Amino acid sequence: MGASVVRPQHRGVVVRINDVGGLQGFGPIEVDEPEEQFHYEWESRVFAMARTLRDSTGLTLDEFRDAIERMPPADYLNSSYYERWLTGLCTLLTERGLVSPEELA
Amino acid sequence: MRFSAGDSVRVRLDDPVHHTRVPRYLRGRRGVVAEYQGDYPLPDTVVLTNGADRTTQPLYGVRFRAEELWGPGQATTEGPFEVWVDLWESYLEPPGERS
Repeated sequence: MGASVVRPQHRGVVVRINDVGGLQGFGPIEVDEPEEQFHYEWESRVFAMARTLRDSTGLTLDEFRDAIERMPPADYLNSSYYERWLTGLCTLLTERGLVSPEELA
Repeated sequence: MRFSAGDSVRVRLDDPVHHTRVPRYLRGRRGVVAEYQGDYPLPDTVVLTNGADRTTQPLYGVRFRAEELWGPGQATTEGPFEVWVDLWESYLEPPGERS
């Protein structure tokens, strides 16, 4: 993950590349893929941090989704599920002044 | 509550720059209200106010025929298929209206 992960995005017009429903060419969806909660240990820590942020600040799921949707399209498409969570977390933490960009660097 | 189960509705054509729960493939499409799910905060407003305004409005489960979304070829093989999406009241209008 590069430095772009921690770059907060402005709230103006953004692409919201997450909205790809109906777009073809992404290949088949593996519906029978065995369910695995976390593929790497760091993912469980990201999950825990997101829960903690919600419980301690009253963060809504809507704001969390919005933060992820504001990712630059290329970064979004190149990121895994929990990489997107981590990026969304970093965006919200820096925007709220809870963490400085320097601390995340 | 503006709509009830069985009502025909159309998804507004709005293309907001902010967070919304309307997928692009539903804009302008017709569906039928399947059920009223309860009142919930409108996500668009929640995000625009940084979580401050959690005013609720009715949320409906709305059914869309696959052909309405993806074209006539969808009705043939194993169908008829439907897509069911939860949509807030302000995302919808009566099918005759054009916002």
